[in-house]
Order: sequence, then structure tokens, then C-alpha cells
Amino acid sequence: MACDNQTAGVAIIGYGTAGVNAAIALRNAGYDGTVRVFSDTGILPYSPILTSYYAGGEKAYDECFPWSADELGELQLEVLENCPVTHLDPQAHVVSTPRGDFPYEKCVIATGATPTTRGFPEVEGDPDYAPIVLRSMDDAERLKAAIEAPSCKRFLVSGASMVALKTLEACLNHGLECTLVGVNPHVLDFNALPEAAERFEKGLREKGVELRLGQKIEAVKRVDGGLQVTFSNGESDTFDEISVAHGMRCNLDFLDEGALEIDRALVVDEFMRTSDPDVYAAGDVAQATELISGEKRIVGIWKNAALQGACAGAAIAAELAGVQPDPAQALAGSIPSNTIAVNGTLFISAGTMELAPERFVEVREGDGMTVVYIFEATGEDARRLVGFNLVSDVDEPGGRAYDVGAMLTLRIERGCREKALAHRV
Amino acid sequence: MGLLECSDVYRKFSGQCTQCGHCTPACSSLVSADMTLGDIARTMLEAERGAASREEVAQRIAANPRLVQAVRGCFFCTSCKNTCFAHNDVCDLIYHARIDFQDLGLIEREAWSSVLVDQEWDIFTAYRAIHGIGYPDLTRHVENEYHDAGTDFDVAFFPGCSLAAYGPELTREIFNAFEELGVRATMIDSCCGSSLKSAGFFDRAEALCERNADEIVQAGAKQLVCVCPGCANDMGKVLARKGVDVQVVSLAKFLSDHGFEPRKPLPEGPLCISKSCQDRDGTYLAETCELLGIDPETPSIFHGCCGAGGAVSAFQPNRQAQQADEKLSFAPDGATVVTMCPTCTYTYAYRMMSAPRDISNKHYTELLFESQFDWDTTFYQLGSMWSGEYGSWLAEVFA
Repeated sequence: MACDNQTAGVAIIGYGTAGVNAAIALRNAGYDGTVRVFSDTGILPYSPILTSYYAGGEKAYDECFPWSADELGELQLEVLENCPVTHLDPQAHVVSTPRGDFPYEKCVIATGATPTTRGFPEVEGDPDYAPIVLRSMDDAERLKAAIEAPSCKRFLVSGASMVALKTLEACLNHGLECTLVGVNPHVLDFNALPEAAERFEKGLREKGVELRLGQKIEAVKRVDGGLQVTFSNGESDTFDEISVAHGMRCNLDFLDEGALEIDRALVVDEFMRTSDPDVYAAGDVAQATELISGEKRIVGIWKNAALQGACAGAAIAAELAGVQPDPAQALAGSIPSNTIAVNGTLFISAGTMELAPERFVEVREGDGMTVVYIFEATGEDARRLVGFNLVSDVDEPGGRAYDVGAMLTLRIERGCREKALAHRV
Repeated sequence: MGLLECSDVYRKFSGQCTQCGHCTPACSSLVSADMTLGDIARTMLEAERGAASREEVAQRIAANPRLVQAVRGCFFCTSCKNTCFAHNDVCDLIYHARIDFQDLGLIEREAWSSVLVDQEWDIFTAYRAIHGIGYPDLTRHVENEYHDAGTDFDVAFFPGCSLAAYGPELTREIFNAFEELGVRATMIDSCCGSSLKSAGFFDRAEALCERNADEIVQAGAKQLVCVCPGCANDMGKVLARKGVDVQVVSLAKFLSDHGFEPRKPLPEGPLCISKSCQDRDGTYLAETCELLGIDPETPSIFHGCCGAGGAVSAFQPNRQAQQADEKLSFAPDGATVVTMCPTCTYTYAYRMMSAPRDISNKHYTELLFESQFDWDTTFYQLGSMWSGEYGSWLAEVFA
């Protein structure tokens, strides 16, 4: 669609899951005005989840793009490729870019997050060296090139999050000798309790992964034959490449301080509205209600980004049609949930891992699984499930572990609904 | 609306699918079709894109055997959804695809003519009529020769089609237990409409549930007691949507809450529980185990569809048998397979008629009450009614 920067309409900043779903919902709701999408890349929206599969050789490049050009074309979007937003002025309703200023009636911020390498030291003898990160297709290209290089034999992953573990899997797929270093005592950071993490770690060790847990990288030096890493326990080792997964940072640099309410991300209501009624946020930049705590938190998972984007799009379409958004389409909130399989070892979690005083843990083993339940006491002899970890030595699609995982996730969701109802009553 | 009625649903679904492909190996139908769930949504939209007419859309879909396999071969068991990292709602997707299939004339009449359970005659009502199975004395909220229309019942009992049709003595014994527990009960001997949904008549299924809900309200019942988790799901959704203050509970929980004691000991040998795929969050499993007095962690549990779901048997009869075989293979010789849903019990019994196993197949109510299903008689009667004096009438009604 041709670019006309005089027409206002809806601006979507970011062309990922949340942005695409906002656009789909706008059109599904009958909005036929201008939808202008600002993308900082020149490629179609991709799935960050699939980047590790691509790097690991499990997916072709083309398979990382969930939506075809035809499908996106049907949405009649005005997509400005390679057009990063440099400034958003909510008061003036203007989006600024290197290609000029664009007015809007309603705006969706869906700019996602960028991996941070904080804590990674400057490399002695190679100050320009930047460790590999994994989020974008460019990142995946770099990881793939690195691990497919014949010279790459030994790989260090720093961090123990989902991203770190998927990076590790990509390396294992290529037969590399892998080490994982993590500052916490266990893998899976805030997603797993020790009982589950230990079983997962056992699976990793059985696949030949060296785990350096409770340690961090103190220093890195470029030497003949690679990167010599000194760990916090004083030991050192040499690797051919290093990947870092030290967390994510919201992409909100285009906002002036105080322009919108920001805590860890943009604080939004149940329709994804920020503190400005004409600006919405979805995905990794949105801090919406997390159902178990009832607090506003970032739940940075694909499904959440999709649902939030869709919610924002539907609400905007309603408002632009002059009606109030349908309460039935509000997003009451979400619960964190994660599933990861690394070379056959499966981990599923949902809910909270925060062990408040009224919470207690039960561990059950059987059927080739360890299941860690986190319950919350809700009265005498009454309890509700608020979180779980499941680790299975077998990743069998459709198998018992997935059934149990889905079952427990639904049970947590039902508990949240019942709690919300009880509060309302 | 475009040429397809449910394009919005496909667009929404494809928006939420990462195309990771993890769902495919979770389902034999998706494997056969070599499709992901997202592919189904995308391919439906592709069929619509650029087509000049609904007839052309229908031709495009019919010419795509992979898509037909994926849509018609779904048991609605949610194995794929459970495996999907995003838990995307496959049932919503396939129900809508079936609506479009039905709308486009892509589901042959033989696949659904006998299960239009919102009509006077379907396979269950015909069976009951031919074999004299009825409950006018128990549907106490309906005025008839036995009673006036009562409006002050504590409970509406919903046995579901299979139990009401094929287990009349068991149904009555369960109903009588309500009385013995001091509960005023009436019975809704209708259907939840799941077979209508499977055939792509979503609105009619919803309308049927609405009618059931109206009956429950009319009866003044505060609780709806369901035997099958699927009935409970469907009725629960409609009751909630209508804002009706009726609690939906499983029979197992109801009996436990009222201090019911099983009327016989558990069978000897290992118990092997067939978790209903409609029991999405495992609540029915837990409640049934509690009533039976067994630790849910103790018996072996297998999950997934028995083969009856989604009217797949009308599309691929062999797959129903294969699915039943696969599930029953989890049960060791000498075990008793305990089902949650009477249709699962029926399906396993039907399969074991032609492929006998050294296992016993029981609905959980058969472990609680004296009355039992008599599958030999049931299958004989089901088979013979097509050739007996009612054969031509049935052929005409279900033509």
C-alpha cells in the first residue's frame, strides 16, 4: 500500500506478533481505515521462538515467518520497512521517523525487547568482540554461521534462561562441545524450583553439557585458538564462541521520560491502554495484569503478545467506531507459562514460582516425570494450585507429560478465575 | 463476511500460531495430513483467497485431501493443543472449519443424518423408541401422564445420550440414588449436542444446549449433575453465558459430597483409568478417583480420545478402531479399564466385540452401582433394528 503520511488512522510501532495481531483484530472488527506499521527491518514478521530452530538446523529460513506476504497483504497495511520510530509524541499524536512525521488517531506500541549483554566483560585483545545473542533473524544468522563454522568445536552459553537453553540445543544439534555458565544455582532461572531444575540439569549432563552453575564470566581474553574465559571460581577454559542470554530490555527509547507511565514496561489496563487513552501497548513492552499476583507484570511469551495485540486492535476498532470496547473482549490477565524441550528433555511450567508464606510445595515422581506443585492455602484444608514445574526425560508430543502440563495449566487458570469471582462477590 | 463464514476465526488463529510444528506429531490425523494447526487456518484462507464463488472455494478445499484429512480427522481430543507451546485452541478452529465444511456441502449426509440430536429422531431416540426405553416418570419437570410439571427440584440429572440409551437400568439406579440421598431430582434426557458440533452444526448444538438450560431453569434446579465431562463442558458454557445460577457438577463429586457409599467392592486386579479427553483439567478424573476411593496417583492412567470423538468414524471408520486399540493397549491383561464418559465405554466395548482382549471395560458408575451395561444385547439390538420391522422406517428417517 502506498505511503501517505498525511492520513492519521492507526499507527502500529513494531511488526512482530503483537503488531500483526493488532492489525488482524482491527480488520476482523471491520476497521477499514489506514493502518500504518513501522518496522525496523526489511523482512516479514518472524517468530523469535523459531530462531533457535533455524540456527540449529531444524527449520529452514523461510519457515521462521508465520505469515506469508499474501496473508499480510490481505490486511491492507501500510508497512514502512526499515523505518525505526525515533520519537513518539502522545500529546501531538505524531510518530517521528527518519522518513518524516506521521499523525495518528490511535497508536499501538509493539516494539518488543532486545537482548542485553550486561555483565559480559570487554574482551581483552578484542575490544570490539560482541557475544552472540538470540532474538532476531539476524541474531539467528550469526549464531548459525558461528556453530556451523568448521573451526567451532567448543561453545559457551552464558545464562540459564529459556533462550540460553534453546541456544544450547542449537549447538548440541551441531555436535558442539557445550558449556553453560549461570549465576544462579540452577538452570531455568525464575521458571523452575530446584527439584525440577535438578532433573532437567541431569538431562543436560547426560547429553554431555558441562554446567557451571553459581558462576559467572569474570574475564575474557582473545588468545590463539579462541576466547579464554576466566570464571568467577578462578577456573578458566577456552571456547570458540560465546553466546550471552542475560535478559531482555524493552524497546522504548523513542519515548520521552514521563510521556507515558512506565514501570518495568508500559503499564496498561485490560484493553491494553497505556496512561494515554490513544496509545496502547502489547507484547514485551506491556506490563499488564498477571493473574496470580494480581499485579501488573511483563509476561513475555508469544501467546500473550498475540492476545494482547488482538485485544488492543479490537478495542481501538471499537473506539474508532464510536463505541466502548466490548468488556467481553477485555484481557483479564495472563499467567506465565513456558514449555521447552532440549534434545528430548522436556520442561513445562505455568503460574508462579514465588514461595510466599502461605504457599507450599509438593513433589511427585512417577510416569517418568517429576512434577513440582506449588499450592496456596486458601482456608482450612483448602488450597489452590498456583504454579507447577514438570520435567520429563521424554519429549513425546501428545504424550502423558503434555497432557498433565495442559491439565495443570488449566487448573491454575480456573483457580485464578474462581479467585477473581470470589473477590467480585 | 467473505466467502467462508469463519474467515475471522482462521485469521485470528493464524495470528496466534508460531508455525513451530510441534503439534503435528501429537496427532495421527495431522501426521497423515502433514499439517500444523496453523496450516489448517492458513489453508482455509488460501482456499478463499482469489476464489470467485463459494462453489470454487468448496472445489479448492475438496481438491486438498490434506486439508480434508486435518479437518475431518480431528477427534477434538486436544492432544495437539496440549502439546502446542501456546496451547492454541484447536477445538475452536476445527469446529469452525467444520461449520464451513458443512456450509459448503463438504460433509456427506450419511455422516450426520442419524445424529441430528435436536430432531425428533436420531440414533439414540430411535433406539430407545424401538426398544421401549423411556424416562417419562423421571423427567419430573415435564408434565405428563405420571406427574405435573415440578418446579422445585434440587438437582437436574443429565445422564447423556449413551447412558440413557444403552444403560436404562443403570440410569434408573443412579436416579434412585438421588432420592435415597434425600435430593429432589428430575432428569434431562436430552443431548448436549456434541454430535451436531462435530458435523458442523454449531448453532444448532448451542440452541439445543440453550433449550436444555431453559428446562433446568424451569425445573428450579440449583445443580446440574452430569455423568460425562463433555456434557458438563457444553452445558456449563451455555449456563454461564445465560447468567443462570446453576452449578454444574460431576456425578462423582455430587455423590461424594452427599456421602454416597459404593454398592460393591472394586474389582480385583489392576485398575487402568481412561481419562476422558473432554476432562480438560483433570477435575473429573480426580473426583472419580476420590469417589472410588483410589489415589489418583496410584492407578495407571491413559489419556486421549477413545476413537469416538469428532465423528471421525463417519470419515475414517478404521481410525476409530485403531485409536481404541491404541488406548486399550495401555491396559495390561487382567486389568479393568475405567472410563469417565459412557461413550468411551461404548466405543471400547464395540471394539472389543471384534477384537477381544483379556481386560474388563467398565464405566465408573458400573463400579458404584449394581446395574451394568449389557453390551452384547445392546450391539445385537443396534444391529438388528436396521433389518427388523423398523428397518425401512429407519432407512427412510436417516436417509
